[in-house]
Amino acid sequence: MIPEIGQFALTLALAVSLVQSVLPLLGTARDNVVWMKSATATSVLLTGLVGLAFGALMWSFVISDFTVLNVASNSHSQKPMLFKVAATWGSHEGSLLLWVLILVIFGLGVSLLARNIPLALKARTLAVQAWICAGFLSFMLFTSNPFERVFPAPLDGNDLNPLLQDIGLALHPPFLYLGYVGFSIVFSFAVAALIEGRVDPAWARWVRPWTLAAWVFLTLGIVLGSWWAYYELGWGGWWFWDPVENVSFMPWLAGTALFHSAIVTEKRDSFKSWTILLAVLTFSLSLLGTFVVRSGLLTSVHAFSVDPERGIYILVLLGIAIGGSLTLFAVRAPEMEGGGLFAPISREAGLLINNLLLATATATVLFGTLYPLLLEAVTGEKISVGPPYYNASFVPIMLVLVMVMAVGPLLSWKRADLRGVLARLKWVAGLSLLAALAVWYLDTGGPVLAVVSIALAVWLLGSVATEWAGRIKLGEVPLAESLRRARNLPRSHYGMVVAHAGLAVCIIGFVGSSAWKSEVVIFAEPGTELEIAGFDVRFEGVEQVRGPNYLSRMATLTVSRNGTFVSTLNPERRAYPVAGSSTTESAIRTTLAGDLYASIQEPAAESEQNRWTLRILYEPLVVWIWIGSGLLALGGVLSLSDRRLRVGAPRKRTGRAPAPVVAE
Amino acid sequence: MIWIVFSVMAAAAFLTLAFSGTSRKTSVLSRHESASAIFADQITEVERDQERGIISAGECKAAKAEIERRLRAIDRQADGEPTARPSGRALVLAAALAVPALGAALYWQVGSPGIPSQPFAERAGEQAQAREIADLAAKLKARLELDETGGPTDGWAMLGQTYMRMGRYEDAAGAFARVQDRPEVTSALASQYGEALVYAEDGIVTPKASRVFDRALELDPANPAASFYQALALEQAGAPDAAYDLLQARIESEDGYRPWMDSFAAQMNRIAALVGLPGVDLADLAPAMPGPTAEQAATAEQMSDEDRQAFIRSMVERLAARMQENPGDLDGWMRLGKAYAVLGESNSARDAYSRAKVLADDLPQDDPRRAGIDRALLEL
Repeated sequence: MIPEIGQFALTLALAVSLVQSVLPLLGTARDNVVWMKSATATSVLLTGLVGLAFGALMWSFVISDFTVLNVASNSHSQKPMLFKVAATWGSHEGSLLLWVLILVIFGLGVSLLARNIPLALKARTLAVQAWICAGFLSFMLFTSNPFERVFPAPLDGNDLNPLLQDIGLALHPPFLYLGYVGFSIVFSFAVAALIEGRVDPAWARWVRPWTLAAWVFLTLGIVLGSWWAYYELGWGGWWFWDPVENVSFMPWLAGTALFHSAIVTEKRDSFKSWTILLAVLTFSLSLLGTFVVRSGLLTSVHAFSVDPERGIYILVLLGIAIGGSLTLFAVRAPEMEGGGLFAPISREAGLLINNLLLATATATVLFGTLYPLLLEAVTGEKISVGPPYYNASFVPIMLVLVMVMAVGPLLSWKRADLRGVLARLKWVAGLSLLAALAVWYLDTGGPVLAVVSIALAVWLLGSVATEWAGRIKLGEVPLAESLRRARNLPRSHYGMVVAHAGLAVCIIGFVGSSAWKSEVVIFAEPGTELEIAGFDVRFEGVEQVRGPNYLSRMATLTVSRNGTFVSTLNPERRAYPVAGSSTTESAIRTTLAGDLYASIQEPAAESEQNRWTLRILYEPLVVWIWIGSGLLALGGVLSLSDRRLRVGAPRKRTGRAPAPVVAE
Repeated sequence: MIWIVFSVMAAAAFLTLAFSGTSRKTSVLSRHESASAIFADQITEVERDQERGIISAGECKAAKAEIERRLRAIDRQADGEPTARPSGRALVLAAALAVPALGAALYWQVGSPGIPSQPFAERAGEQAQAREIADLAAKLKARLELDETGGPTDGWAMLGQTYMRMGRYEDAAGAFARVQDRPEVTSALASQYGEALVYAEDGIVTPKASRVFDRALELDPANPAASFYQALALEQAGAPDAAYDLLQARIESEDGYRPWMDSFAAQMNRIAALVGLPGVDLADLAPAMPGPTAEQAATAEQMSDEDRQAFIRSMVERLAARMQENPGDLDGWMRLGKAYAVLGESNSARDAYSRAKVLADDLPQDDPRRAGIDRALLEL
């Protein structure tokens, strides 16, 4: 009965979302308050119904009710409870249900939490939100029903793909979706503003926190996915420029541009059209990501055309959402009133450059992701676009971005003194030059990109520190006064400091682990010894271990340096008999200086029972990536926790204009 | 029970929506009020920042001036604000009624209210039964293996079929393989072996399986399962057109509808959709035999044996009368012959089949009906 309750809740939810798509808009057109207010009731109802459906599906997984097809194909009675719960969103159908659940929860947030929003704007926003909801609910019910039943039920399930039975990946989709779907609110606000033809102060007030919340979740989601790929796939790589990764990275880049642009809209009442366009694009890229992953397009273009029902449905939804909102933008944007003026050298201009660079970077990733798909669809030729392309296109853009972002926060609003700022950054420039020389000295034959990147990371870190020190007047006033100022600095400011520093830390990790990685792959038998990055590793042997739903063959490696014992590593191969596949569990010894990473593979041939393929990697500084990404997310949370409203105070022009002074 | 829950859900949805907007709190936030509230908040913030020394007095003044400028800009645009008019309740009620109606209609399409939940923990009986079957299969296998003569063919066939039902396809293939070289192996047994091989390979007809199906067709050219998998093999080898033609030829070689044709037609339609061939309707390819209608059959069920014989006879006589009017209908003569054979009237049956045989002389040599007629005449 429980699955059917979930099913009925879903069909009711579709009906409710259709009402919410139409009634509030009618209300705004006819000035009818009752119709506009119905959006609040329907959003509560929607959340209740979709929540009920999600609960019903999760319940079916927890009690292993194999009459539900989705449970039978993605779960197994012997699976650990955590992964039974996580399997709720492990499948295509379940993940869509999670998507919609998050969507309606965000809608509920708008309808209950957001105060000071004019009723008309709220009604329009919730109606737009309901369009998206109706699109996804109908997609689910007609092409991917999570409550499809099977009777008589199979005696046991097929088990979830064991690669996905992992804590990192259990949490990855919810965070990713919180990010994707979080952008939907900003999108709905933007479309509502476009319908209305103007931007309310409330709009500008709310767009930044919503974007930031979504961005924090998306950051965590991407990092979890990357971390999972690092330790679970057994390669030691953390980013592959794979289309699946790219489609989550693009909304992140666009979202980063969006909340920087939203700062200008909030503080300076400017960049309104630009912010709206970015809001539309960011969510469109989120939809594109969902489409690319959920349509099977990635497995192969051919597979997509064999079973096109789902793909076509999302493609049509995507066309309506992106085409419709961009058309609306084209029609309405010219009518939007402009904002405050600013000089070519100012905080606004810096943020504009940030936006342009991020948009260009997004475009290069979009091109690299879609071009192979288009080429395969048109000519049938299969190509893969990998690191060489991105190193030549994406990375240089980001390096310029890093160079500029070091300067941006030091500029004041409206008009700024670039020379003065650069003068303050002199010692930072010297320091980064020293860093570049040091890297070049240590690794003379190494990649130039590594030298440049490390210099830029130091440049960014130094300027962040300079900016903070300037804010609290470190050294200019007594230390106690500086500390008082440090305490009084708004949390949103600390958010910026932490996030920018986090990016610098990430860059150091990116460079270290890709430019200076060392790798050894050998056939090992008990007693084999090898040397890597100063460590001596000895392969002791392999033993069998039994897990809850798998059989593990666990190797023991003894690691020592200069004759002293350092640690023991236990990489595993796990065989899941029900799912009929195996996973790699790598063993990693993590330190700040670098990770020692070991994984094993089955014997190459039947005749060589005792010989294992052993892969040992030393990846310097890789942990800096996770620390840096954590700082990025922490920065977002800090900024979000600052509930203050923000107004940009233009600094009074003191005396003469600064630029001509030196020139004379 | 389930319908009660559904009714409660539908009623809750209806009530929530129907009573929305009826709260006494009819305050409506207009654009101007919203903007003023936000700007007032901002001014408080700016003043607090100045108190905490984050911004200077001059900056504070500039910021306040900026906020006031924005408020004036909003004021200039002030236009028709929504007014609290509690009208339009009728539309809300209509929408509230539409929700359960539409929800129920959709549920009618996609739901399966008749299927109960089956938590794994409550299925101990089934699990025990499955274990019991597994035990029995294991015992049967042990006994067959101990048998010095290699075990009876029937035994191995049964073991293979049991494994197939348990989903242990490789074991099933192993069991069927034991008897394939025996002289008494039938076409059905060969094609079951082939089917097990296909299932064990996740639906791929391997060359080995294909040879097994060839053998099954040698033993009996009319084995439909073997033809089905041969067509699948052709499709997997990249010749969907040939697969389609083979399936079609096999259906057309019969004189009327057979139950296995449903899966053939479904397979043809699947291939047709993939490569752009015309879809098929089984009713066109293999017209259903003009047998008794459901009503007639139901009547026959309730009759005594004598009555039933009489009923069948009357039907046969009607068919015979039709054949006199239309003596060129080969399939009709075959059906009449079969009907007489069932009634035990060998002479009439032989006559009917003889008429069919004359007509069948015009058929191509490999038409299965020729063999069918010869076999029937032999048996009579």
